[in-house]
Amino acid sequence: MLRVNGLYKKYDDFEAIKNVSLYIPRGVVYGLIGSNGAGKTTLLKTVTGIFEKDRGTVTLNEKEIYENVEAKKKIFFIADNPYFYPGYTVKDMANFYKTVYETWDEVKYERLRGIFKIDENKKVRNMSKGMQKQVAIWLGLSTNTDVLILDEPLDGLDAVIRQRVKKLIFHEVIDRQLTVLISSHNLRELEDFCDYVAILHSGEVILEKEVEKLKSSIFKVEVAFNDGMPEELMKRIKLIKAVQKGRMWVLVVEGERIEIEKTIQSYNPILFDIVSLTLEEIFMYEMEGIGYEYENINY
Amino acid sequence: MFELDVRSRVPIYEQLFEKIKELIIKGLLKEHEQLPSVRALSNDLTINPNTIQKAYRELENQGYIYSIPGKGSFVAPLKDRDINKEKIEKILEEVKKLMLEGLYLGMDREDFIKVLEDAIKIKEVR
Repeated sequence: MLRVNGLYKKYDDFEAIKNVSLYIPRGVVYGLIGSNGAGKTTLLKTVTGIFEKDRGTVTLNEKEIYENVEAKKKIFFIADNPYFYPGYTVKDMANFYKTVYETWDEVKYERLRGIFKIDENKKVRNMSKGMQKQVAIWLGLSTNTDVLILDEPLDGLDAVIRQRVKKLIFHEVIDRQLTVLISSHNLRELEDFCDYVAILHSGEVILEKEVEKLKSSIFKVEVAFNDGMPEELMKRIKLIKAVQKGRMWVLVVEGERIEIEKTIQSYNPILFDIVSLTLEEIFMYEMEGIGYEYENINY
Repeated sequence: MFELDVRSRVPIYEQLFEKIKELIIKGLLKEHEQLPSVRALSNDLTINPNTIQKAYRELENQGYIYSIPGKGSFVAPLKDRDINKEKIEKILEEVKKLMLEGLYLGMDREDFIKVLEDAIKIKEVR
């Protein structure tokens, strides 16, 4: 569906995006995590064809997006700071988008009006930042495009609205397999939202994972043996990390839970506990593994 | 009916899978009863529908539910044998854990045999 391949983007001498490749299948919610300045907005704006890329390809259904009206009609981009024409009411903006997007769904627009409960005759620029964001999401969903790209959409929204927005997006994913690309600086915010998560750091994607699969394939094990850790065991499990605390060992192990349990139990530990890792912990260990300090990247 | 902990370490997909499995095993979801649609569940719990679909798919693979295209997912008839097998496995695991603990506390074979005999007696009385 949406494919980014070997993408580069430079501002003067500054390489904002370096060799980024992503593939987002249809109906998937794809999260892009990165700290401020990591290149999220540049990447999203280059993907949507607002910025011209230096190298690489960005395609929707195998067709270049940049300067391609047909492809762009299938994408709606909600910027971090959504733009509205001066003096335009929500209704005015809706009428504008109606002329741009042939897929505009008036019924949906009306239905969402009832959900967001925002006066469509109010000038958007006079609204608060959070309200403007909601208007952008309202309009964006009403365009009924195949792809929705959102830059920090949940930032500045309260918990109730945030849940509402998530629900609305999920509905579109179920009903018509909407494809979503969403950015955030907060991993926790995206962890229960996305199917895939990629970490962007200094313009590069340094990690990309399927969220649910990830959580059930890495475990933290606390274990102790009467006669110390059997050497053989260390070889039989896929260890990512092992730390000794007195007689107890804390292991980070990759693999199937049942298999790990069986293997370790067969050495008769005097203490044994296995828990899933939080997504945050997984990223931390994985990034340590490839030589990055997690703390330097998030938050 | 389903309460999930989105902040939990346990993957949402796994929580959902285990929860529905439990409801089926305990008979709270009856044979051929319809499960909530992916849409309804996603809406109730605010969780990614693809995750729910994954859990449903896994439940179907393991024979707990079946789906009728266009209609939804339903609880599959479960043979008693299967329910028991699962429970027994769990009990054996627990017993082994407790026995090991007992052994380290100084219990011996006779102590365990006595517990077993007591349990048999209680069962007979009932």
